[in-house]
Amino acid sequence: MSDPDLFPYPASRLGQVDVGLASSLRDLVEKEVMAKRPELKEDYAQVLLPSLRKILTEIGVQRMFWPEKLGGEGHNQPSAAYTVVSALEQIGRADTGLAFLTAHNLALQAALALEGNYQEEGCSAMAPLFCEGDRPVIVSFVLPVFGEEEEAPRWRGKYLQVQAAGGKDGWVLNGKGVRPTCSGADADLFGVLCAVKDDEEPAFIAVPGDLSGLKRGKEFKKTGLAASRNAELTFDNVEVPAVNCAWRGEEGLFRLLSWYYLGLAATGVGALLAVYEIIKEWGDTRVIKGRGHIFKENPLTAALMGEIAKEIVMDRLLAYDLAGILAEPETYGDAGSEGVFVAATMIAHHVYGSADYTIHRTMELMASAGYAKEWQLERYWRDVKTVQCYLGAAELAKHDYARWFYKTKTL
Amino acid sequence: MRTIDDFTRPLEYISPMDGLLGSIFRDWVENEVIPYRREFDEDYLEHHLIHPPFKKLLGGYGLQRMIFPEDLGGWGMGQSNYMCGAAYRMFEEIGRADTGMAMAFGALFWPLLFIALKPHENRRLLEEFAPMFCGTTEAVFAALCMTEPQGGSDIENVEVVKGSTIQTTAVPDGDEWVINGHKIWASNTGGLAKLMAVVCTTNPGSNDPRDIAVIYVTSDTPGVTQGSPYEKAGMAADKNSDLWLENARVPLWYRAIGPGDDAKYFGEIMSTGNMGIIAWITGAMMNIYERLQDFVNLKFYRGRPLKEDDAIAGVLADFAANIEILRVIGYQSARMCDRHDLYGPLCDPGLVAKTRAQRNFATERFIECTGKVMNLMECYGADRDWDVEKHWRDAKMLQLVEGSKQLCQMEVARWFYECKTL
Repeated sequence: MSDPDLFPYPASRLGQVDVGLASSLRDLVEKEVMAKRPELKEDYAQVLLPSLRKILTEIGVQRMFWPEKLGGEGHNQPSAAYTVVSALEQIGRADTGLAFLTAHNLALQAALALEGNYQEEGCSAMAPLFCEGDRPVIVSFVLPVFGEEEEAPRWRGKYLQVQAAGGKDGWVLNGKGVRPTCSGADADLFGVLCAVKDDEEPAFIAVPGDLSGLKRGKEFKKTGLAASRNAELTFDNVEVPAVNCAWRGEEGLFRLLSWYYLGLAATGVGALLAVYEIIKEWGDTRVIKGRGHIFKENPLTAALMGEIAKEIVMDRLLAYDLAGILAEPETYGDAGSEGVFVAATMIAHHVYGSADYTIHRTMELMASAGYAKEWQLERYWRDVKTVQCYLGAAELAKHDYARWFYKTKTL
Repeated sequence: MRTIDDFTRPLEYISPMDGLLGSIFRDWVENEVIPYRREFDEDYLEHHLIHPPFKKLLGGYGLQRMIFPEDLGGWGMGQSNYMCGAAYRMFEEIGRADTGMAMAFGALFWPLLFIALKPHENRRLLEEFAPMFCGTTEAVFAALCMTEPQGGSDIENVEVVKGSTIQTTAVPDGDEWVINGHKIWASNTGGLAKLMAVVCTTNPGSNDPRDIAVIYVTSDTPGVTQGSPYEKAGMAADKNSDLWLENARVPLWYRAIGPGDDAKYFGEIMSTGNMGIIAWITGAMMNIYERLQDFVNLKFYRGRPLKEDDAIAGVLADFAANIEILRVIGYQSARMCDRHDLYGPLCDPGLVAKTRAQRNFATERFIECTGKVMNLMECYGADRDWDVEKHWRDAKMLQLVEGSKQLCQMEVARWFYECKTL
């Protein structure tokens, strides 16, 4: 077990709730995920789903932001950004996929229930699903992707996958070959950014997974994130109550994505903390060049291990910096502002670029043990790469940066 | 539309057999491998899907015979000065479909190089093992067993540790060797190999290269046990496992060449292995190029095909440039391995270092530019159905076989800078 304080972070910003939650999650995932991994590996039914259930319901992460009057914990101040990071680091350390799913759940809660942007109707409609009973709520998003036809509704160059018609009397949703961000096979609630017929402003609509007309395809194989069993969706005249439209326009989406990227950054840091533990053990015990040469004492390997530690330090500080930005909207602007959204996008991309680089270097140090499942490292490698792909093309994210920092007109 | 055949190959010195071999392998991978490869990961234990194409290639087409002399039923490629050039083309074509299969195919010949190449051809052992490979239409695999649990890549680090860390022992007893030890990670183990070349020491702890012995052991020798295949991030077609030798007895003449020469010619495995890795990498990149072509033509961004976006096109250009450059390096590497009159013997430390450098460069470029391609494909980059992620997983391992990246770097530095203590 590593010392959680070894890699610096702004500990003084964390409240008792944050520290307690992180500690509980650490105990839980060490017992339920890490201890079972040598035997059961990434078994969805025996390890991942039961663990997710405990994270979301027993520990209560899925109730965190919702107001107490609706059965939630009411932990919905902007400073909850620190809670998100400290919690998801712990989950991500054990399993990137579990943290990835939890990040979806927390981002949706934040977008709807955050103090200062509280959505009364949306919360009243959604909170019971999260707060009543002990069923875990797996949240997934349907966001714009590359299209397959020239003329179709777009948001920032990418194509909206679902078309919504209607409005105040309810919505009817249609879309084929729809690609969700996660858990297409299992999700209980899809947050769908829809094109609205005869209207340029997209709508973000919460779609319960059991609605008539919502069909799930076969689970497809992918590089990593075993906790997310993904599948394509079909929306065939899915009727959704009007109240399920959480917002229209960009501000709400920026807020959702800013919190989502915060969660993903923390998830990546968690994976890196696990990677550190793996290479630490390797460096302490491995002998090279014959007798008596401990791996970590070799100048070349020590330099590389030092670089790995440096990347983790920087990434952790960045994730907490983003939490600081979201925690102080009066200083940095609201999470729904373009500037904060761009900063969140940059930090998430940076963390995953760094994590990808760092895990590659770690694998190279460990040679065949790096890709053997027995040593666990390869799982983080696959998972981190998968999240990086889901974050979107780095080159296109740079367009978002350019739009904000250089006020480009045509991108 | 441009195809993979539009990338440059050095036509001045490709093998005379290049066209024929290329078409045979192209046809084989497209009909026997590519349609099934997306299920290979789950087939790592049993090879229900992986074995049939191997049987056709190795046993049916007879590729497993190619290194044996013609009078023993082989193709005589072990004596050809186009051996590596021809191998490069074959390796690249298989790598295009599956680098795990390419690795298993290439590694099958490593143990045989000790006895099939001049000037150290071992006619008696060739005659002994030729029927195993040349007298059947079943696929037959061989394995070179080097790595041991206690030292990892140290065994491959012959120049520094000089075999002093080898713990697998070979003790002469009458007219037999008695072998005891534990090997790990050899390609084509996991129950696959019928013939194994085992790197042993005849004098534990010695740093005299004459005490390094390469000794052949057949899988049915009493005391020889192959474990179950390891679970890995990819390369399911390349089975790796533990190998235990407990008082395994083989004739004394099963030693590959002899004292001093077993260690000396070990370098041949490194040179050809490095060349092979570049070929497998470029093959994989060819296929990624094909799938990328499909993707950037099919998918739209801002109302245009993805490839028409300037920022995306920059990434696409870099990927193509890397293929163009690595292929030229790879063919050059193969030619260096073939033309001993120009570049020195295959086992020469300088050639080993140069091919190490080429292989290191190729794998680095692969990792960087393929990682960018996966990212460019966004969520589809991680989908099995688009094939890129499989190549990404598989080919990372090619960077790390035959010693870690750092071992490669040290060999390169040691030779080019004449380092004394690395």
